[in-house]
Amino acid sequence: MIDFLQMTVSGIAVGSSYALMALGMVLIYKASEVPNFAQGEMALLPVFMAYMLIYTYGQSVFAAFFGALAFAMFLGCFLEFAVVRRAKNPNILGLIIITIGLEMVLLGFVSWKFGADQRVMPFPISSYSSFMFGNVYISTLDLLTLVAALVIMVSLFLFFRFSRLGVAMKATQQNETAARLMGIRTNRVKMITWGISATVGTVAGLLLAPVFMEPYMMWDPLLKGFAAAVIGGMTSLPGAVFGAYIVGIVEHLFGGYVSMEYKAVVAFAVIVIVLCVKPSGLFARHYVKKV
Amino acid sequence: MKNTLLAVLMGALLVLGFAPAGHAEVGVTDTEIHIGQWSPQTGPAAPWGAVARGTDAYFKWINANGGIHGRKLIHHYFDDAYNPAKTIAGVKQLQEQTGMFAWVSGVGTACGLAVKDYLMERQIPWVGPSAGSRHWVTPPQKHLFNVYPLYLGDAQLLTEYAVTEMDKKRIAVVYQEDDYGKQGLEGARHVLEQHGMELAAKVPVSISDTDMRPHTMKLRQAKADAVLVFVTPGHVARLLGTGKAMNYEPQWMSTTTCGDFPLMIAITKGLYEGVITASFGMAQPTGNVGGIEHINNPKNKLMAKYKTEVYDAYAADDERWGYTFTTGIGLAEPLVEAIRRAGRDLTREKLVAELEKMENFQGLMGRITYGPYDPDDPLCRIGQQEIFLQQCTADGGSKILTDWQKTEFIPMSE
Repeated sequence: MIDFLQMTVSGIAVGSSYALMALGMVLIYKASEVPNFAQGEMALLPVFMAYMLIYTYGQSVFAAFFGALAFAMFLGCFLEFAVVRRAKNPNILGLIIITIGLEMVLLGFVSWKFGADQRVMPFPISSYSSFMFGNVYISTLDLLTLVAALVIMVSLFLFFRFSRLGVAMKATQQNETAARLMGIRTNRVKMITWGISATVGTVAGLLLAPVFMEPYMMWDPLLKGFAAAVIGGMTSLPGAVFGAYIVGIVEHLFGGYVSMEYKAVVAFAVIVIVLCVKPSGLFARHYVKKV
Repeated sequence: MKNTLLAVLMGALLVLGFAPAGHAEVGVTDTEIHIGQWSPQTGPAAPWGAVARGTDAYFKWINANGGIHGRKLIHHYFDDAYNPAKTIAGVKQLQEQTGMFAWVSGVGTACGLAVKDYLMERQIPWVGPSAGSRHWVTPPQKHLFNVYPLYLGDAQLLTEYAVTEMDKKRIAVVYQEDDYGKQGLEGARHVLEQHGMELAAKVPVSISDTDMRPHTMKLRQAKADAVLVFVTPGHVARLLGTGKAMNYEPQWMSTTTCGDFPLMIAITKGLYEGVITASFGMAQPTGNVGGIEHINNPKNKLMAKYKTEVYDAYAADDERWGYTFTTGIGLAEPLVEAIRRAGRDLTREKLVAELEKMENFQGLMGRITYGPYDPDDPLCRIGQQEIFLQQCTADGGSKILTDWQKTEFIPMSE
C-alpha cells in the first residue's frame, strides 16, 4: 500500500511539469489551432538565458528568473509575429512544419551558444530536500512544481473567464472572422497567447533546471505534455492538467508493477486508448462550425 | 623509326610514372598522413564530442613538434550527431573521396558497428573505438585494435570491491538498455555468482527517460546497499538527486564513463562525493593507492605535460580540460606510436605488424598489449585489460582505491 501511495504521489509530482508544458500547448492550440512542437525550446532559450544572467552577468536568481520569464513573453510574441503570422493561408500541416522548424532553430541556437555541457541551475530551494508524510516522500521542488501548475491553471481559467483579453482570446479561437468583426485585434490576441504560452513553459523549464540542464532537457517533458494535452482534448486547460496527472501516475504505476522497460512509452499507449474511446479527448467540447 | 622510338619512350614513361603509385598507401603522401574520426559534436551525445577535439589537439601538437618521420598528421573528424546513418555516410565520403590511411577512436558502439564491416572488408586499420564493447573483439578483426577496457571489466571490479572490501550484501544494477548497460549487468552477475550471491535488483533505464523516481523506488524496495550504475552522466545525476530526496543513499558505483569527477561534482551539486568509479587511466595508481589526484593539477607527469603542451596550446578557449578530452588523446596514442615505429616507409601492413608487436605500451591509459592475429583469440586485439578504482572527493579529486587490476574477458553468449 505504501508503494502504491508513493508511486501515485511521485506520478503526481512528475505530472506537474508535464501539466505546465501541456497548458502551454493548449494555449497555442486554442489560439492558432496548431500543436506547437517548439513549446519545449521556447522555454529552453529563456532558461539558458537565466543561467547566463546568473553566471555571466552576476544577477541574483530571482532577477534572472524574472528576466527569463519576461524574455519568454517577448520570444513567444516575436515568433508568432515574425514567423507564424507570415505564413500565407497555411494549412495545419504547414503550421506543424513551421513549429518543428522553430524547434530545430532554437535548439541549434542554444547548443551553439551554450555548448553541450551538462550543468545545473542555482535555485533558492535545494532540489534534494523533501517532505515525508509517513513513509511517502515528495521533494520540495516537486511540491513547488505542483503548486505552480495548479496556480497557473486556476489563473488561466480565471483569465479566460473574466478578463477582456481572455474573453477576446476565446472569441478568436471560436470564430476568428466574427471576432474581428466585433473589433477584436485577432492578430494581436494570437501574438499575446504565444507569449503567455512561452512564459508558462518557461516556468516548467526553470523548475526542471535545478535538477539537470542540457540542450535536450525539454524534449521528454514536451512529448509527455503533448500526450497530456491530447488526452485532455487539446482545448481544455483543466483537461490538460488532468491528462498530465494521468500520464504521470500511469507511468509510475506501470513502471512499478508491470515493466520499467516500457515505462517511458506507456504515455503514448494511454493516448491511443483514450482516443479510441473518446476521439476528441476527455475534456474537449465540440464546436460545430456552420458552413 | 622516329615513331617507334616515341612509342617506346611513352610506354616507358607510363610504366615509370605509374610504378610508384602501385606501392603508395592510401592516405599517405610524402608530407602527410590522413587519419579519420567521427564524433557527436551536436545532439544528445554532444558532451562526448570532446574526445575528437582531444585527438585533434594532440595531432596538432605532434605536427608542431615535427610530425612523424617528416609527415604531418592530417586529422579529418566529422559530426555524426551519434546517428549511425550519418556515421556510415561520413566515413564512406571521407574514405572514398579523400582517402584515409587509418581511423582512430570514433564515439559510440552503435556508430562503430555501423562502419565496422565497411572498414574491415577494405582492410583499413581502425584503432581505439571510443566505447568498451565486446563487439570490437568478437570475433577479432585483423585491422581493428581495441584500446578502451570493456564495461564488463568495470562491473567485475566494482562488484568484487563492493562484496569483498565493503562487505555489501545487496547489490543492484541500474543499466541502460543497450550494449553498455547489459555488459554491466552481465559482469556484476558473473562476480556475484562466484560469491554465491544474487542481484538484489536490476533496474533498466531508457535513454530518453528523465524521471528517475520509479527507478529509485525499485532500488529502495530491494534494500540495495550498493548500486552499480551503467547509464549516462545525466541519468546518474538525476538518480543520485532523487535518491537523496528519498533519503535513500546506498554506495553508488559507476563506470569509466561517469568518472569525470569535477564534472560530476558540479552537476550533482556535490552529491557525487564518495561515489566509486572504475578508471582506465589518466592517473598512475601503482605506488599511489590512497593518494588523491586532481585533474587540474595532475601528479601524473604525462597528464601534466599534455595539459600544458597540448590543451593549453591547442584546445579552443571554451574547451574544458576533462577526462573526455584526455580520452581522445589516450585512445590515439597507440596509433601514433605504431606509426612512429613503422618508420618512414609507412604502409597499413607495417602499421598492423607494429601494433601486433606492441606489448605493455603505456601512455595516458593502462598498459596495452596486442598479439599476432588469431581469429579464435579475442585477446589478440583487446588492448587494455586493466583498470583501477577511484573514489570522488568533495572537491572533485580522485582518491585512488586500488592498483591496476586485470579483468576477466567473458565471451559473448550466443
